[in-house]
Amino acid sequence: MDMLINPTVVELSRLQFALTALYHFLFVPLTLGLTFLLATMESVYVITGKPIYKEMTQFWGKLFAINFALGVATGLTMEFEFGTNWSMYSHFVGDIFGTPLAIEGLMAFFMESTFVGIMFFGWDRISAKAHLVVTYLVALGSNLSALWILIANGFMQDPRGGTFDPNTMRLEFSSFVQLIFNEDAQAKFVHTSIAGFVTGSMFVMGISAFYLLTNKRKDIALRSFRIAAVFGVISTIGVVTLGDALGFIDAKAQPMKVAAMEAIWNTDYNTASAPWNLIAFPDKAAGKNLFEIGVPYVLTPLLTHSEDTVIPGIHQLVDEAKPKVVNGIKAMVALKEYNHDHSNVQALATFKQYQTDMGYGFLAMQYAPDQDLKKVDASNLASVVDKTAHETVPNVWVEFWAFRIMVAFGFIMLAIFAFAAYFSLKNEVEKHPLLLKVALWSIPLPWFACEFGWITAENGRQPWTVYNMLPTFVSASSHSVGYMIFSLIGFVLLYSSFIAAEMYLMFKYARLGPQASHHGHDQAPAGGGMAGQPAFAKPSLAKK
Amino acid sequence: MKNLFTFVGMALIMALSLFLAVITGDYGPWYFAWLVGTTMIVLIAVAGAVMYEKQDAESQGKTGRLH
Ligand code: HEM
Repeated sequence: MDMLINPTVVELSRLQFALTALYHFLFVPLTLGLTFLLATMESVYVITGKPIYKEMTQFWGKLFAINFALGVATGLTMEFEFGTNWSMYSHFVGDIFGTPLAIEGLMAFFMESTFVGIMFFGWDRISAKAHLVVTYLVALGSNLSALWILIANGFMQDPRGGTFDPNTMRLEFSSFVQLIFNEDAQAKFVHTSIAGFVTGSMFVMGISAFYLLTNKRKDIALRSFRIAAVFGVISTIGVVTLGDALGFIDAKAQPMKVAAMEAIWNTDYNTASAPWNLIAFPDKAAGKNLFEIGVPYVLTPLLTHSEDTVIPGIHQLVDEAKPKVVNGIKAMVALKEYNHDHSNVQALATFKQYQTDMGYGFLAMQYAPDQDLKKVDASNLASVVDKTAHETVPNVWVEFWAFRIMVAFGFIMLAIFAFAAYFSLKNEVEKHPLLLKVALWSIPLPWFACEFGWITAENGRQPWTVYNMLPTFVSASSHSVGYMIFSLIGFVLLYSSFIAAEMYLMFKYARLGPQASHHGHDQAPAGGGMAGQPAFAKPSLAKK
Repeated sequence: MKNLFTFVGMALIMALSLFLAVITGDYGPWYFAWLVGTTMIVLIAVAGAVMYEKQDAESQGKTGRLH
């Protein structure tokens, strides 16, 4: 760990990971939500026995299938990327991170994929009730596989369940229970899964609105709209309240991220009246907001759910980081000595004494002369400590605005779903074409909210891959710049063709819609209704 | 015999639910909330659809339209 990786390679690795992760997450939320919507529609089919709900399940299932395939494919590349581009990271936390990742892979492939097959092709092969159970298992499976990757991410945000072993230079498992019941992982899972429910609902509601506007299969559109609007309004209330809870947990585990999210530079001890920044232009170099509009009396209750909890500002957190950097340097110097000579008990004892701040020592390496912490002495200590402490501040501008966009879209969607559910429950949606148009054009909103959510979570964790333990710049693999550019271009080309294919198929099948029913809405179209469609889309005639 | 199987199946589901409630309720309150919340969202959406059928039947009754 003496030689630092070329900063350009680190930046390119970050760019590649950010792009592939954000891209992968274009497919995930729809899978998480649409599966439960399919299960809902199919439940109505089994309860009421009305074949139209079977037809609905099959039609939306077809759109789900297009999305599902790309979700799995792009998820796979990411799992490999940990090894290829983040090998230092994988070495350091592989013992812990690998376990949830492996379970995730198993869940995605064995549980989800097996049942997805039965869900698509088993309509005529198993009973209606058994098929419903399968659809629920697909929904559960896709959300459970997300659970494991979020547990892994929860560990990166608030590392629990692992201890560093100076002999192997790795973080090793100490508690599986702590890992999976980590508060951050739990809150992340519920927020992300329900964000998927919101996405699925907006998708179904928007496309149904399109059918209503174009007079296509109103029987299916009205019913789908109703289910999606009701599902969506509760889910959006859920995502907002759970987002608030996630912010509350963040405030405990990652105060710097929260200070950046709210662009709080100075600690305000008048807790009750502290203003909450509605709009701000944070400038990291100047260490202040160039412009801000604050709403007094909102910040403390909003973030801490109390009136008197002090929220530390960025400057205070930087000052608090300084003694940690000093201790971290001592820990790393001792660790290096111990690594040269495992019989050096004095070095081991010193390392153990300062071990909790080890990550700050790692972080200081980039500012040490020749990147050698042993060369930090009285003459340069203050400058190294100061620079390193400032390095703990993420990009405040990005954090502040990414968070605000997610939240704003959350409230806009809540309003849309509320109106949609209200008019749908009164059976009056058709009288409100504006609402239908808004629903149609709002389809991208949940995707934007999700992407900005991830930017909030991951940008705010910088400069760490594992919070307070492992900085990003030591986590990457030591590839050449040429290799990184080559693979980046490869990804961009390949993924652009993927998205083009996905959008083409989605638009094609969504526009085409369920085939026109010639039989009135309570009957399944006889055979030819969906002729020419894939086998899984063909409804069976028999009412099971 | 079929009734017995149904009874045993239901009893197993109940035991599993109680186990989950106790374990996840204690250690993973958010996981527990997700299980309960998701079930609730699905059930309410199903109820919304069933209600639609009733409204539809009523409006067809009024207009004299046949199914
Ligand atoms: C008032 C509304 C919301 C609040 C207060 C909120 C809060 C948060 C917070 C604090 C994070 C960062 C978590 C971290 O640091 O690890 C986050 C992440 C995220 N949010 Fe939101 N959020 C809201 C609305 C939404 C909406 C509407 C969606 C999408 C439909 C969404 C999707 C996400 C996603 C996908 C992430 C990244 C994964 C995660 O960390 O859970 N959020 N949200």
